[in-house]
Amino acid sequence: MDSTFQKISIIFFLLVLLTAFVWVEETAFKIPDNWPKPKYDFTKNPLSENKIELGRILFYDPILSKDSSISCSSCHLQYTAFTHMDHALSHGIGDSMGTRNAPALMNLAWHSNFMWDGAINHLDVQSLAPISHPDEMGENIVSVVYKLNRNKKYRHLFAASYHLSSITGEQVLKSISQFMLTLVSSHSKYDSVMRKQSLFTNQEKNGYALFQKNCSSCHTEPLFSNFQFVNNGLALDPDLRDYGRMKISGDAKDSLKFKIPSLRNIEFSSPYMHDGRFKTLNQVLNHYTKGIQKNNTLAKELETPIILSANEKVDLIAFLITLTDRQFLFNPAYGFPK
Amino acid sequence: MKKIFFSFVMSFVAPMLFSQSYKPVQVNFKPMFGSQELVLNDSVYTFNLKDSVYIETLKFYISGIELLCKNKMVWKENNSYHLINLSEENTLHLMLQVPKNIHFEHIKFYLGIDSGMNTSGAQGGDLDPTKGMFWTWQSGYINFKLEGKSNACATRKHEFMLHLGGYLYPYNTIQTIVLPMPAKTSAIIVIDIKTFLSAIDLSKQHHIMSPGNNAFLLSQIVAKSFSPWIAPSKK
Repeated sequence: MDSTFQKISIIFFLLVLLTAFVWVEETAFKIPDNWPKPKYDFTKNPLSENKIELGRILFYDPILSKDSSISCSSCHLQYTAFTHMDHALSHGIGDSMGTRNAPALMNLAWHSNFMWDGAINHLDVQSLAPISHPDEMGENIVSVVYKLNRNKKYRHLFAASYHLSSITGEQVLKSISQFMLTLVSSHSKYDSVMRKQSLFTNQEKNGYALFQKNCSSCHTEPLFSNFQFVNNGLALDPDLRDYGRMKISGDAKDSLKFKIPSLRNIEFSSPYMHDGRFKTLNQVLNHYTKGIQKNNTLAKELETPIILSANEKVDLIAFLITLTDRQFLFNPAYGFPK
Repeated sequence: MKKIFFSFVMSFVAPMLFSQSYKPVQVNFKPMFGSQELVLNDSVYTFNLKDSVYIETLKFYISGIELLCKNKMVWKENNSYHLINLSEENTLHLMLQVPKNIHFEHIKFYLGIDSGMNTSGAQGGDLDPTKGMFWTWQSGYINFKLEGKSNACATRKHEFMLHLGGYLYPYNTIQTIVLPMPAKTSAIIVIDIKTFLSAIDLSKQHHIMSPGNNAFLLSQIVAKSFSPWIAPSKK
């Protein structure tokens, strides 16, 4: 009788342990106060600490590229909000050059498509593009999965996360998504002012008013983009001849339209625009005040010129700098894995 | 925990359910070139009197399988996505678990992947991007892939590559196919590549690798190349 009781209590204890294990495995995604609901469906890829860490290791590992020279972090550096400072166009294996500016990676759970032209329709399949592009990593997912399956460290890491005997493409992509989803920037000075934890200076306040009047219809708060595709009046680069969204939709109405980027961490994410043509925020503001090229797909918001005095530009930039989130830029959880 | 409990209960309940009322129905795909069986990397087939072709790849998705009786759906397969790949013989044979008491006359399926699944992120199994049927530079599944060589193509090594896909209006390439299914336990479905190639102009349409009007039109033609197998009559 005693031994039966003992057995039952051991089984019960093990079950409790298992329950705790299952609970620990899932990590909740925290939506910052007053932010909209994310677009990403977390029920199809529930976050777990193991998978986030695995995604982080993959993000920083050049094994994803054909010659093991380029990792995601080569063009997406944490200290510049996961873009490539000083590089107008993305780089790839063998010193190859892409045709567009590597975008900053943050708050990706709120995006419903990716890339400057929205060519990618889901965060999970985003990584396939740089992995496969001949001027980026020049690799393919079949070969990546093959290399990972031959690697003892990765076999262990994947088995610990997915409890399966071999690594699949789905697991690789979803793990990278998990890490990218955790890249949430919501602790800038702007955010603390909105949460009534600090105050703007007079200059920043003035800049915020100018921002709301002139910029916020496209760079909508709190994500600082409405993620639409628009033509913001940039002249066509005669060498790149990049017509943006039109290549994807096949519709002439989309000529020269690009996805509106978020302005968060803009202080550190230079150069600006899809081809990185502007190095400074002054150049960007000068474009909007006197550089707009009129043509039939130009955003209607830009049809009447934006007028800013020299002082107003300084104030507006002071506000834009309040979007810098040092907690995000220096968060050790986003850095090179230990 | 719920999952564990559920699978625990199901491990007892499921065998009882299945053993009582289900029967296997086999659906076999039979790639043909006219009256000849289609073999990859092997024979040169002729069509349009003067054209010849050598096939290296034939892969396509079959999804959303339903059985119909008097044009009404009486059974459908759950999570129904199958990659048919001529270079992997076992993928040509699908096994459906259908309740015994169901009477059906037709089989209905899609050639391709629905738009919902095209926009749902990374998938596993037959839909895993390692299967080589997902465009990397512009998200979306390739519904149908045919590659080979033909003297009709004035291209390098006379190669042609037809990658048909695209899920966005107005170029949604998924096709609905309904075929009679007289036998109750199995069906053989022919896809005749000769019918397809005879209906297109391979000298002009030899490289289609993105969504658009070409992929849309060719997908409609591919769909017409499916038919129920009729055994040649013996005399």
